Amino acid sequence: MRRLIATGLLALAVFALSAFGSACASEKSETSSSVSPVLVNGSLPRFEESVTLRVMTHDSFAVSQSVLDEFESATNVRVELIASGDAVAMTNAAILTAGNPVADVIFGFDENLLGSVLRSDLLQPFRAERLEGVDTVFVIDDSGMATPIDHGNVCVNFDRGAFSRSGLPVPSTFDDLVDPSVKNDLVVEDPSTSTPGLAFMLATIAKFGGGDDATDGAAWLNYWKQLKANGVSVVDSWETAYYATFSGGSGKGDRPLAVSYASSPPAEVSDTTLPADQTPTGVVTQTCYRQTEFAGILRGASQPQAAAAFIEFMLGASFQADVPGQMYVYPVVTGTPLPDTFAKYTAPVDAPLVLPYSDVAANRERWISQWSALFR
Amino acid sequence: MVSTLPVIESGTNTSPRTNLWWRVLAGAPPLLFLAVFFAWPVAAILLRGLRPDGEWNLSAFGEVFADPTIRRVLWFTIWESIASTILCVLVALPGAALFARYRFRGKRLLWSALLVPFVLPTVVVAVSLLGVIGSGGFTGVNLSGTVWAILIAHVFFNYAVVVRTVGSTWSTIDPRLEESGRALGARPWRVFAEVTWPLIRSSVAAASSIVFLFSFTSFGIVLILGGISHRTLEVEIYDQTAKFLQLDIAAVLALLQLLVVVIILVWFGRSQRRRAVLFDQRSATETEKPAETPRQRWFIRSNLLFMSLLFGTPLVVLVVRSFSTPEGWGFGFYRALTNSRRGSTSFVPPVDAIGNSLMFASIATAIALVLGLCAAWAIVGDGSAHSDSRFSRWTDTALMIPLGTSAVTVGFGFLIVFDEPPLNLRSSLWLIPIAHAVVALPFVVRLLVPALRSIDPRLREAAATLGASPRRVWWSVEVPIVGRALAAAAGFAFAVSLGEFGATAFLARPDRPTMPIAIYRALGRPGEYNFGQAMAMSTILMLLTVVVMLVIDRFRPASVSEF
Repeated sequence: MRRLIATGLLALAVFALSAFGSACASEKSETSSSVSPVLVNGSLPRFEESVTLRVMTHDSFAVSQSVLDEFESATNVRVELIASGDAVAMTNAAILTAGNPVADVIFGFDENLLGSVLRSDLLQPFRAERLEGVDTVFVIDDSGMATPIDHGNVCVNFDRGAFSRSGLPVPSTFDDLVDPSVKNDLVVEDPSTSTPGLAFMLATIAKFGGGDDATDGAAWLNYWKQLKANGVSVVDSWETAYYATFSGGSGKGDRPLAVSYASSPPAEVSDTTLPADQTPTGVVTQTCYRQTEFAGILRGASQPQAAAAFIEFMLGASFQADVPGQMYVYPVVTGTPLPDTFAKYTAPVDAPLVLPYSDVAANRERWISQWSALFR
Repeated sequence: MVSTLPVIESGTNTSPRTNLWWRVLAGAPPLLFLAVFFAWPVAAILLRGLRPDGEWNLSAFGEVFADPTIRRVLWFTIWESIASTILCVLVALPGAALFARYRFRGKRLLWSALLVPFVLPTVVVAVSLLGVIGSGGFTGVNLSGTVWAILIAHVFFNYAVVVRTVGSTWSTIDPRLEESGRALGARPWRVFAEVTWPLIRSSVAAASSIVFLFSFTSFGIVLILGGISHRTLEVEIYDQTAKFLQLDIAAVLALLQLLVVVIILVWFGRSQRRRAVLFDQRSATETEKPAETPRQRWFIRSNLLFMSLLFGTPLVVLVVRSFSTPEGWGFGFYRALTNSRRGSTSFVPPVDAIGNSLMFASIATAIALVLGLCAAWAIVGDGSAHSDSRFSRWTDTALMIPLGTSAVTVGFGFLIVFDEPPLNLRSSLWLIPIAHAVVALPFVVRLLVPALRSIDPRLREAAATLGASPRRVWWSVEVPIVGRALAAAAGFAFAVSLGEFGATAFLARPDRPTMPIAIYRALGRPGEYNFGQAMAMSTILMLLTVVVMLVIDRFRPASVSEF
């Protein structure tokens, strides 16, 4: 009997704590007000009292310490970085804590996450003055919540050495990828688990249309059926594709074609005297899909003014020039100089594919489940 | 010498009432710890899914159970984990016998090195394994995308769990028991079945339940080696939580996972509950001997050969890659670790990552050992027959549940419960060792409980009769006897913390990365030098693990014979 009472008491304690916790977690309602401009004559403001700004990022965020120091000494703001897994997990963690956020600024969600970010009332409106210098193709959020910071392209990469050894032509279009000459050569990432995987699937939809009628063959699904018949390999993540399956780059796998980034070939060059057309790997430019990364001020931020200053800083010249070397992405501000290796070894992508973010938000789940039905 | 009788019948009679209250008192800290840092966040995230706006919304149950893919996933998860557990135990038992019974050169080193696979990040192990059994792997056998790759990887990861848990119990068994069986004419397998097995079975059950939970919640291995057609419940829960934020579906799946875990744990508990046979424990130096017959030499050699095939090949692939730079063989990648990305916020001097890992692991080990001893004592009580109560069974099961729960469920739970003072811990560094201790606790308990159970209760009685307080009995009778299990537990707790990634990825601050986080960071970037640095950092993590395990082994308390 006593045993039962003791066990019961403990169970009760656990339950009470849980209930208390859930009560604490109930959401605060706050109206989101627009954050006013912060620049002083075009320069970063200086805060009288030192404040700490918390910046939520994905785990591939990086910036030169000297560049960050510039911001801290100019504004008297101390930056504390908080990493929360990859971009998708970070965004969902932010949505879960909407209104009582872990940080003041969030950086690193892309246009495929923009739909859910806006739907879940995560951000406060803020229009950066330095948005003037940004190429308008990246300014896609009309509600003025999300500020574009950098962009990249997801493209099929090829192993130059493998193709020159076999003497076969390097594919240049989507259709070339289903040619029997590249049978069992391509590795892609699962769009349900990987960001570049999702981008590549969206690229095929942007190219062929995202038709719904799977039974009589939407064109994009037909294309994937052809890829499947041509021996495409689907893996969970970019790491598995690039380092364990792709033969280019570090050369540990046996497939000469892989979905990666337009910025990957420059990273594979160790000898900078190499001519631009002889990089170990190259990019099939017609398969490129554009990805833009955004930042925003979280609703409920305790330091909205410092957060606004940080967003202006990310659009400033030094941060923009720093992103290629640190994060393998490209600046959004027109005229920002690229580091030498990126300027020399990045293949020009003239017309990357892209879908309106509202289309992605409306259809992504269906597309992924139709894709999954084909591959699982 | 404590007793000349090797096997002792149990049977004592102390007051059950005082016993129980002592045990509730001892059990309270670990249970409270789990209530705050496990049950509360998990309950909160489940309620957020099932009761989003203060109203119950249970439609997700219908949705999940009507979905045939979920049934397939559930079935695969269950059979894959049971198969992995059986395979792992079968393969590891000879290894446990080797360490328990024989003296051979390099034994201590190998005992420590066994834990290396256990701490390596899954992605590193998976990439190395693909270099052996993947497409283009050097064996020419391509198992990637098959269940075999998953099973092999699970054995690779969990071999040490069985060998170290069972081996440390086995080594305390007096070999004369087995010898007398053989002298009476029994064949070796019969000696094993009738003498050895009853003595080790409770530690085999303890190890199997851990292996089962690890295989059941396997995530990275299944994704990378199993291809996209093999999915576990854990993968589904991760996707529904972190990728799609479908908290209602995730909650139903998490409850399903909880249900299966509890059912299987209760089942394991039953087989463990049949009283462990008490025996007079011997120290390892008394029970081990060098190989004498050709047959024994063959046994040692074939065991070592097996281990070098299972662990040697993938780990050698890893080490070799850390030295093969584009400029030829050398330390290029190691040098790059210290200077290549200097000046970046993502740059981690390797010394710092090692320091962070050691610091978090030390705190986590300390927490887990203290709470684990309390819990083990509460579970075992005074070791008498009536100690095996409902209370101990439920405490035992409750402590294991965190191992069978998805890291993402707990991680997202942390985000929504620790957001108000006084527990505003969301970006606190303390959450990392605390999360590691939650995972390490079951290991500590699983190693200590069989050791405590096998202590002759008459020893405690003798001490009590001589006027020792319960605490004194615990300190001067039990601690020295369970010393070996305690050292093994500390080793596991430390290893768990060194290798933990799932929860750490959510909680780590970029300025304080652990070694696995630093390895992932390097692997997330293109370029031969980034890959090479990940391999170099992994090699350093391997070395560090061996060194730490050797040091922990040195601190092993006085063994039984000296007691």
